[in-house]
Amino acid sequence: MSARADPRLTQDRRLAFAFVTPAVSVIALIAIFPLLWTLWNSLHLQDLRMPWLGHPFIGLDNYAELARDPRFWSSLGHTLFFTVVTVSLELVLGLIIALAMNSTFRGRGFARATSLLPWAIPTVVAALLWRFMFDSQAGIANALLVAIGVLERPMVWFIEATTAWIPVILSDVWKTTPFVAILLLAGLQNIDRTLYEAAEVDGASAWWRLWHITIPLLKPTIFVALIFRTLDAFRVFDLLYALTGGGPGTATEPIALYTHTIILQHLRFGYGSALSVVVFVITFGLALIYIRGLGLRLSGEER
Amino acid sequence: MTGRRRLAIACVALAQLACGGREAESGRTVITISSSVVGTDGPLLRRQLDRFMQVNPGIEVRLHRVSDDATQRHQLFVQWLNARAGDPDVLELDVVWTSEFAAAGWLLPLEDPSIDRAAFFPGTLRACLWAGDLYALPWYADVGLLYRRTDLVPKEPASLDELATFAQRGIASGAVPFGIAWMGARYEGLVTVFLEYLGGFGGQIMDDSMNVRVDAPEAVRALTFMRDQITRWKVAPDDVLTWHEEETRFAFQNGRAVFMRNWPYAYTAMADPAQSRVAGKYAVSPMPAAPGGRPTAALGGAQLAINRWTEHPAAAFALVQFITAPEQQLERAVAIGEFPTLRAVYDEPSLRAALAIPADDARRAVESATPRPVTPLYTQLSEILQIELHRALAGQITPEAALTAAAQKMNAAVARTGLREYMFGRPVTSAR
Amino acid sequence: MTARAERPWLRTLIVVALLIPIAFPLYWALVASLTSEAALFSDPSIWPADPILSHYRALFANRDFWTPVRNSLVVAGVTTVFCVAVGSLAAYALARLEFRGKALILGFILAVSMFPQISIVSPLYLLLRGMRLINTYPGLIMPYMTFAMPLTVWLLVGYFRQLPKDLEEAALVDGASRLVAFVKIIIPLAMPGLATTAILTFIYCWNEFLFALSFTLGPERQTVPVAIALFRGEYQVPWGEILAASVVATAPVAAIVLIFQRRIVQGLTSGAVKG
Repeated sequence: MSARADPRLTQDRRLAFAFVTPAVSVIALIAIFPLLWTLWNSLHLQDLRMPWLGHPFIGLDNYAELARDPRFWSSLGHTLFFTVVTVSLELVLGLIIALAMNSTFRGRGFARATSLLPWAIPTVVAALLWRFMFDSQAGIANALLVAIGVLERPMVWFIEATTAWIPVILSDVWKTTPFVAILLLAGLQNIDRTLYEAAEVDGASAWWRLWHITIPLLKPTIFVALIFRTLDAFRVFDLLYALTGGGPGTATEPIALYTHTIILQHLRFGYGSALSVVVFVITFGLALIYIRGLGLRLSGEER
Repeated sequence: MTGRRRLAIACVALAQLACGGREAESGRTVITISSSVVGTDGPLLRRQLDRFMQVNPGIEVRLHRVSDDATQRHQLFVQWLNARAGDPDVLELDVVWTSEFAAAGWLLPLEDPSIDRAAFFPGTLRACLWAGDLYALPWYADVGLLYRRTDLVPKEPASLDELATFAQRGIASGAVPFGIAWMGARYEGLVTVFLEYLGGFGGQIMDDSMNVRVDAPEAVRALTFMRDQITRWKVAPDDVLTWHEEETRFAFQNGRAVFMRNWPYAYTAMADPAQSRVAGKYAVSPMPAAPGGRPTAALGGAQLAINRWTEHPAAAFALVQFITAPEQQLERAVAIGEFPTLRAVYDEPSLRAALAIPADDARRAVESATPRPVTPLYTQLSEILQIELHRALAGQITPEAALTAAAQKMNAAVARTGLREYMFGRPVTSAR
Repeated sequence: MTARAERPWLRTLIVVALLIPIAFPLYWALVASLTSEAALFSDPSIWPADPILSHYRALFANRDFWTPVRNSLVVAGVTTVFCVAVGSLAAYALARLEFRGKALILGFILAVSMFPQISIVSPLYLLLRGMRLINTYPGLIMPYMTFAMPLTVWLLVGYFRQLPKDLEEAALVDGASRLVAFVKIIIPLAMPGLATTAILTFIYCWNEFLFALSFTLGPERQTVPVAIALFRGEYQVPWGEILAASVVATAPVAAIVLIFQRRIVQGLTSGAVKG
């Protein structure tokens, strides 16, 4: 067999090379090369408003400045806070929705399509819808909360940090929970039905079935959803740009927004690159976990 | 294969869309000018642009409207110029931006021999210079003025002491709750107010070697004088710490203050008896000084500069020259009361008739006006100064401590940017 | 299949209760975009009481919202076509051909798909500025490939793996070359997968914000999300027009989702769940 397969294999290899090269070189050119450039720039002084300073190598000075920069630390804190809160809420709510939708019922297709809508619309649009709903004058949130007696008078949500976070978190949960639910639903549908039937015969309660069958078997999917969402939440930019602009002051500013401001408004490309590298390292650390988790199953499937 | 052909067509269409620049169908050269056009500014500028196009039939000028908010406009210009966009070709710059943009290499130096530098007031021209080269032409000037109630004050105060005394007397008479109103919010306006008291006591923000001097004894006296107005003599209300131009004007216009520090625009704005309680009852003079100082008015206003990346430098320069020419400056002054930057315009009889304040007073005010430090770091330095001034005025810190901290941080910023070495340490080369 | 077939009622009720908060903001945006600004600020009604189209008219007449719509269509369309064309080749090789370094390339592509966009904004900016491509279509399409290319390759690898091998094997035995087999057999078979991938890629491009914000300078090249985010009024937020624009921005993706929801779900989950 091998004797006959050899020329074919060589031919395959050649074809594979020809097929893979364009895509891989595009990716290398516009993603990997810029990334290395960012790394290189983070070791240099580059302030485009001050061309007289040139572009000297300054070692780790940018990183030293970063360590002393309170706005960096607070934006990192905001990002972590946002990530932890939204991802946990989304996983819990997503699981509830997935469980509810995990059966055939009338209008299931419609329900699934509806829940996909928030995921599909532009994040900026979602942010603006929530800003509108939390507008101090025209907002329906104030109208509702006053009507049911939670608030005495309309509230200005975006002038204080604690209250500004509420629409931020709600809008992200609204936008991405459906995505989590759909992932989890797909996972649920892979679970062998007979396990439930057997448990039911044994007289196990629904609660017991959830904790001892559903959740353990769903673990890999939950893990994937968790990592997907964590990476996404950590990069949050659009939502806060359109919803709070990072304000009041910089009280809700995430690290991506701070980095963007440093680069494109202050034109400090060197320092901004150092910030970018930090974001990348943290994200990539998380991504490595994902690739490892997924990579194992990848090779498993190939066999 | 049809897919490939479609792709090819898409690419061609794309290239056309991407490169289809701003050429007019008629083949005329198209240039754009960006300006904030609020209220009466807009029609006036459009009229002048139309005239320019009649004189220069080969050029079409388009007006690129930008935000009226100075901070937003600054941000937008930084974004455009840094991206090396050729549009807009001609930019309206605030006086404190020109050196920043010139140093960044974003403006075209104006080297035309037809420019007569001496025709402009020295102060307005100095703000257009960077490293000895001219990067903009002054368009109109704004100067800080002291407004006074002629029914409450016998004459213009001759000294800062007299200013305080008159203000106290006004309150004591029971006619007004406030002695003096000025803009004390934490923004650029506060720096211009401080600059005037600073000059009045004989100080300066920065010397010629780029050393920040706001911790000098004169500066401490100036800030203490401002603070005393609020706490010691109680002639300025606490509220000034939140006031910008308009809040200040409303206080004065509603008959609540003896004096007001504001810009020339307020003179026309308060003249309508239907809206103003002080119509016909106010006059202006320069800010007075203390012994050893000199009367100082902060210089503001706008300049016209040419984008370094313009594709039509000659047309852009023609436009800048046209708009800053005496006829257009005169028309502008007559129409909306803004002060011309050319000395000769003040001799025009029609200006004498049209300006809200006597032309000689206006000329005197612009002539003695003090520009803010001309440095590319101005925005950063001003931000530091605003914070410290405001803290001292709010009583969170003494004037000495505030100014010492400000000077330290401002000098550190100058040192960090290597600007002094660049300016004085080695031969000045082109910024690019 | 039906775990709790005994109480389909209850389940429908629960699902409806869950769907209301999901659907309400979109419904409210639609209603509010048809309400006059005066009514919005004084006495908003949950039902479209007195629908008007003036916000939409203002959007297209005064703000020229067609320009951002056209920009978005061009940028998202070209990126999608290019990525699916180039990506399908790579995906086929990665799914069906044996060669060394395959796992490495897959890992590489997956890793790039997780890049935080912000970490390559500054070099891309300098690169595009040097090529004078800031504020142009190519200046957006190129950066868009950083996320669109890994996405298409990744999705298509999943699809190609699922395709039955028999037809292709038969063709190869008959003496056809791999290339011919790919063009004549795989491509037609994979059409649904290619379409789904194109749909997903298009949605991602349509919604992209950071690059579009960073690499455009004015309304002439801004995409829909950027144009909406930068809407400004003279004295207050022009909510009526923002909401009308939001509805316009949402309509195409909403239509796609409603028509192709089954495929989109497959596409979304195949990458994550089935590996």
